[in-house]
Amino acid sequence: MKKLFSSMLTVTMLSIVLAACSNPGGDQSKNATNEPQNGGSSPKTETVTLKFWRPSGNDAENGAISKLIENFEAKNPGIKVDLENVPFDNYETKVRTALAGKTAGDIIAIDAPTMSSYANAGALYDLTSFMEADADLKDIPEGILQSMKYDGKYYIAPISEANIALFYNKKMFEAKGIPLPSKNVDEAWTWDQVLDAAKKLNDPAKGVYGIDPAQGFGGGEGPAYFKTPILWQFGAEVLSPDGSTAKGYLDSKEAKEALTFYQSLYQTYKVSPLELPPDPFPTGKVAMFVDGIWDLANFTTNFPNFKLGEDWDIAPLPKAKRQAMANGSWTFGVTADSKYPKEAWQLINYMTGTEGAKIYADMTGALPVRYSVVDQTPKMKEYPYSVFVGQLQKYSMPRPVTPAYPAVSAAIRELFEDVGQGNRDVNAAAADAVKKIDDAIEALKR
Amino acid sequence: MIAGKQYSLRRSDGITGFLFVLPAFILLLVFVFIPMAKAFYYSFNDYMLVSGSKTFVGLKNYADLLQDTKFLNSIKHTFYFAVIVIPVQTAIALGLALLVKPQFKYTGFFRTAFFVPVVISTAVAGTVFKLIYNRDFGLLNVLIGAVGIPKISLLSNADIAMNGVIILGIWKAAGFFMIVYLAGLNNIPQDLYESARVDGASKLQQFFYITLPLLKRTTAFIIIMTTIDAIKLSGIVFVLTSGGPNSSTETIVYFIYKTAFDQMQMGYASAAAFILFFMILIISVIQMLFLRSKVNY
Repeated sequence: MKKLFSSMLTVTMLSIVLAACSNPGGDQSKNATNEPQNGGSSPKTETVTLKFWRPSGNDAENGAISKLIENFEAKNPGIKVDLENVPFDNYETKVRTALAGKTAGDIIAIDAPTMSSYANAGALYDLTSFMEADADLKDIPEGILQSMKYDGKYYIAPISEANIALFYNKKMFEAKGIPLPSKNVDEAWTWDQVLDAAKKLNDPAKGVYGIDPAQGFGGGEGPAYFKTPILWQFGAEVLSPDGSTAKGYLDSKEAKEALTFYQSLYQTYKVSPLELPPDPFPTGKVAMFVDGIWDLANFTTNFPNFKLGEDWDIAPLPKAKRQAMANGSWTFGVTADSKYPKEAWQLINYMTGTEGAKIYADMTGALPVRYSVVDQTPKMKEYPYSVFVGQLQKYSMPRPVTPAYPAVSAAIRELFEDVGQGNRDVNAAAADAVKKIDDAIEALKR
Repeated sequence: MIAGKQYSLRRSDGITGFLFVLPAFILLLVFVFIPMAKAFYYSFNDYMLVSGSKTFVGLKNYADLLQDTKFLNSIKHTFYFAVIVIPVQTAIALGLALLVKPQFKYTGFFRTAFFVPVVISTAVAGTVFKLIYNRDFGLLNVLIGAVGIPKISLLSNADIAMNGVIILGIWKAAGFFMIVYLAGLNNIPQDLYESARVDGASKLQQFFYITLPLLKRTTAFIIIMTTIDAIKLSGIVFVLTSGGPNSSTETIVYFIYKTAFDQMQMGYASAAAFILFFMILIISVIQMLFLRSKVNY
């Protein structure tokens, strides 16, 4: 306790020193770059301009961020925020090129699993002292804290979270007389129960599939987000705890069980569609569908006749040996080359702190990260949100935290494609995936 | 005196000419040649995108690439695409051009209809074809099912997935080359056909002895362009398949993009880009030598 106190004291002192150091610096460079002072009537506070890059989201998300910035600027007259909403598809490419050219914004939005490659490359500012001083880390679930850290240091702060669950077509369940799964977070169905139900629900003649276990097959980060949890649920890990190898983990007995089960859904029992049509769940083409909280709004707006509670319901994500799903959504970090890390942190701290995160959650309907925000948002305690929030707080874990993450993500996508779509031997496919990841880890050491 | 005057005139002409060329030259230099030279330099380095860490590794990137099964497979997929698309698409373009060349009442409509796919954005076309190709619910399988042909899985069967990309590619590009062929056809003097008719040549003979030879330059242009487009294929792959299933539709350019911006291995990707550059260069030079036409009219 004494030790903790003294270390906190050191951190606080350190941040005061940092603050003291950074202020004159900020002022100086401001003097150098600002327009000549006008008539002298305006307040004498110098303004700092923070460049803030994020991928453009939907209207609600963009509106919420603008609102947060407005509030922040009103409270901090000395800081102006120059927001750039980058088109989503170009965002990662733009950020990566800009980081290499050292021209990225002061604050950048970061998809949590890519953080470690940026941090390892020295592109991010270490926020540990700031965070420990004033981010109230105890207000954040442990599983999420882990996704914010690389090498023991905090680099990013999340504004919202996401979570996935089992969506099921209630009418189809009732038609076949299958008992409905529980809505209680701690009573998830096992994959065996899911498979049983899927076999009964499967009806190829009518074009109905039993279950889509992980959003079919696609590109990008989606596959790793939806498919890594299947490995975890069967008791496997992707990497060794120290992140040095995938050997013995991604090709472990447990991992192969998970892959064999996944393969059997497509190839043995044929209860899962190899090619997903658009919107398969609300159009009744799959009876069970693993999907994310973000589709709640999509279904309500675009399929008003497909009603939650009447036509469909949400159950916790299936488990095998344990319950697990990935956390890590969009977060904010400060670039290492930023001239105003302290001011940048102030903005991030406002946006991701209780007040800002509450505004964001209210305006967008996204899952709040902080316990305090959940407590202040009654709807988060009610079904269907309770399923997602409960899972997030109890069972979510970060995707592998390693600078080789891009290679890990690609290897997992290809691995599940290989065994699911390609019906490839699980041993050979796992061996290939291990090699791809280990080669990438090796290459980073050079 | 006269000689001196001429000299100074020529000299000022030279300066004027140089000034005219200068803006274009600077643009090319800044936006094409310098980046190319830099990329060539990076291809000999272990250059990571975000960190910008660079270590000179000589030819290692090139040597590794030649043993990288993913890269070699992407070359294979690209060439499979090219080998089918070049003859088939060229034949279709020529066929369409011959169909819409005669002026009838609805010629304008058909010319437009065949050209429309060229104008449609790749993203839209890819999304629509994804729907058409879908194994269980797509239009394609409904149609061929009606005739009694078993279902085909263009999006999930690795053995045939590239053919789905090929069909979309041809559908998308044939109309453009139809227009080029149309221009070529309109350049052939009509009197040649008239005299052939007088001599009693059949339509088929007219096609093989007049039309085809006189289209040789157009054909050469089209084949070279199609080859370059085919080898640079990537947009369709992005929207239709994302390289899957089982990486069976990953093309060279797709591989380069993923390596550079997903895996952030800029040096490795630059080396792959230069291998691609030299491949296109060599193929184009060979094609130009073979397709060089001596026919003038």
